[in-house]
Amino acid sequence: MKSKSLRLFGYVRGAAALLVAFLVALVLIFLSSDEPLVALRYMLLGPAASWSKICRVLAYMIPITFTGLATCIMFSANQFNLAGEGCISAGGFVGALVAIYCPMPTVIHQIVCILAGALIGGLIMLIPGFLKTRWGVSEMVVSLMLNYIILDVTMQFLTQNFADRSQGATMTFPYKSSAIIPKIFAGEQVSYGILIAIAMAVLCWFFLYRTKWGYAIRMVGINKEFSQYSGIKVGAIVILCQVVGGILAGMGGVVTQLGYFQQYRWTALTGYGWDGITLAILAANNPIFIPIAAFFVAWLQYGCELMNTWTTVPVEMMDLISVVIFLFFAADQFLSGFRQKLVVRETKKELAEKAAQQSKKGGEAHV
Amino acid sequence: MQNSEYVVEMRGIDKIYPNGIAANQGVDFLVKKGEIHALMGENGAGKSTLMKMLFGMEQPTNGEIFINGEKVALTSPTVAIAHGIGMVHQHFMLVPSLTVAENVVLGMEPRKGKLFVDFSKAIALTEEYSKKFNLEVDPNAKVMDIPVGMKQKVEILKALVRGAKILILDEPTAVLTTQETVELFRELIHLKEQGYTIIFISHKLKEIKEITDRMTILRGGRSMGVYNTADTTEQEISRLMVGRDVILTVQKDQAQPTEPVLQVKDLEFTNDWNRKMLNKVSFTVRKGEILGIAGVEGNGQRELVDILYNFAKPDAGSVSVGGKSTLGLHQDKLRDMGISLIPEDRMIYGIADSASIEENVISDRFDKKQFNNGPLFNMKAIHAESERLVAEYQVLCKSPQQQVKMLSGGNIQKVVVAREFSSDPVLIIADQPTRGIDVGATEFIRKKLVELSRAGAAVLLVSADLNEVIELSDSLVVFHGGEIVAYFEDTKKMDEMEMGEYMLGLKRQSPEEVRRVVHEK
Repeated sequence: MKSKSLRLFGYVRGAAALLVAFLVALVLIFLSSDEPLVALRYMLLGPAASWSKICRVLAYMIPITFTGLATCIMFSANQFNLAGEGCISAGGFVGALVAIYCPMPTVIHQIVCILAGALIGGLIMLIPGFLKTRWGVSEMVVSLMLNYIILDVTMQFLTQNFADRSQGATMTFPYKSSAIIPKIFAGEQVSYGILIAIAMAVLCWFFLYRTKWGYAIRMVGINKEFSQYSGIKVGAIVILCQVVGGILAGMGGVVTQLGYFQQYRWTALTGYGWDGITLAILAANNPIFIPIAAFFVAWLQYGCELMNTWTTVPVEMMDLISVVIFLFFAADQFLSGFRQKLVVRETKKELAEKAAQQSKKGGEAHV
Repeated sequence: MQNSEYVVEMRGIDKIYPNGIAANQGVDFLVKKGEIHALMGENGAGKSTLMKMLFGMEQPTNGEIFINGEKVALTSPTVAIAHGIGMVHQHFMLVPSLTVAENVVLGMEPRKGKLFVDFSKAIALTEEYSKKFNLEVDPNAKVMDIPVGMKQKVEILKALVRGAKILILDEPTAVLTTQETVELFRELIHLKEQGYTIIFISHKLKEIKEITDRMTILRGGRSMGVYNTADTTEQEISRLMVGRDVILTVQKDQAQPTEPVLQVKDLEFTNDWNRKMLNKVSFTVRKGEILGIAGVEGNGQRELVDILYNFAKPDAGSVSVGGKSTLGLHQDKLRDMGISLIPEDRMIYGIADSASIEENVISDRFDKKQFNNGPLFNMKAIHAESERLVAEYQVLCKSPQQQVKMLSGGNIQKVVVAREFSSDPVLIIADQPTRGIDVGATEFIRKKLVELSRAGAAVLLVSADLNEVIELSDSLVVFHGGEIVAYFEDTKKMDEMEMGEYMLGLKRQSPEEVRRVVHEK
């Protein structure tokens, strides 16, 4: 039933939402800036100004791709878990400790660090998953509160046990060089982590659409009662999807740490978890679209930063734009009148075709 | 104004839904004043859509509507009511915790002063209308305590009190016993004599013949014409509805039941409102037979099915399949034991609506070895399975990748049935397997059910459709008030009137007679 033009409508609608968001941004920029055109140029084209700026966009894609994937998997099962934010910190912190204190040959070292981060992310997500399955506690509330608990626990360990006191700011000792994920281009910020992130997007797509676990996650997301009646262990799936989400976010923390920083220095929540939610909505929970959405958001984010640096427009503009995009993506009825016209046209065409076929058949029968 | 003999005139109505389904195409629907006019057609033929437009719940894509010769735009039910149109929905729109009188005046309550509802006036009003139209109700009873037949009368009263002159009844007899149907028909004729116009939606041929003057038949969203009921035979009607002659009786050989499969003993269940829904229910379904459960809805059938599939826990009693207790087992285990269920509510339990047909038919077997290669799905095997099932169960679709919610009711049910029947079940629990679906799909599903039982499956059939339960079952029990009140060993030797008496609780067999259904040696 889904014809080409209706599928196209999905994209047109998405593009229209972006356009409206830009228009809103435009109005605000014109209101708040003395040199709006310059500001606009920084926002839209600033990131393309040099190769190293583009590499920065790519580098910024890495953490949000991971949190985006984590959110995709959890949202697919209708679990509104928001602890990607905390898990990326926790994963990054544990990965960092392995990178500092456990000497190992390179390659193996990175892998062990990532696994350690994944493990801690998965373990943390057992909490909201278990509470939801066992007592029906809202995963949204639990995960939201969990973020702050995670932050405080990592800060406690960081300041009390692992801080490098010789530094002026709160940070750990530097990572062993064997643990560092190398940069792709010398002197540019993007590391090979970007390849890991894109590979994970492909893996996640396979997981969600080509394995029995992914299938179960999606079915639970569409209809829990149906899943239970079909013999799917709904409780286990609710836990599974959140653990997988935690694993992805935890990995993302490690990959970001080892590819971007020299020592662990996250002393506040990163905001990457929230970006992950934006990405999941933009990508309609399809992992394969996450890197594309991540590139787009990273570009805008950096563009807004540049705009903020060089003009008087505040960096919060980015939040405004993303809110407007959200609003129009989530608004089911946005452009629905236009869609209805499309549907009517399509259906009429289809009916005419059917009628033509039948009269042809009838004609043959008469002969 | 040229055609004022018609109170309702719908011309050239097209309706295309946002999901691309053309529910009505160029339909003309003309109703004369003071007649009972049948609107007939299979499910998915567009009857409900047409009536929703007449009641202002949907807007036509094209076409014009005239009421009493005056062109109208029915933009909401409020506007439709103002034009004297009333609708009694198939699923009643009543507030269960309020009294009959409160429901009747809901939204137009008589006031004492500005703030307070005048309850005595509401009761007086209800009584006045009740007497005038011969619709007997108890204005002080709470709606949740009254039988289905009376709820329907409350719905009709609601419409009349709001000044309706044209009444739309959507499958009014679907939930009624034979006796209640007879009563309803008497009341409808009484209304007709007082000049009211009634539009009667149904796909039950016998009723249409009995009560209506003229009929409009829809098929595939188009009108097949208007006919005088008296001049049309049941065979002609069914041919117009389906486009071919349908055998409405089920052909089946004598059952040869062997060993017991499902054994239910002394089952008791109390619901959340402290009402005893099942009381010492015991029965056995044997291999190779279809045991029917007849009864007015709400007499414990739903609770029984919920317990059999472990969606609810009984207070006492035992359930075993093939000698093994099933109580407390996960549905996964039930399916491994070969227990299939066609759920009563197919949109909630039967399907995942935005998933594809393919994803829906594999939901009970997706984790089996044959559909997996190591960690990955074996897509080839899955495609082969879904294509096989779509073909075998004649699901009308473009491809197995199509979303299930795009299908018609009958085809959705075929998807459910394809899954439930194709897993080599030893026990099939069929809960209202053909409710609200078209004649073609109904016939197909019934035939399959008989086929499977004769091939050795045990079948428990729960149905509120009397014809179905009598035609399809080999033997049957009647539920009333959470108990089995009658057991008929051979459905061929019974009549509907007698069964109606059992269903309404007017009569019951002795405990010894009922006990026979346990088949103890």
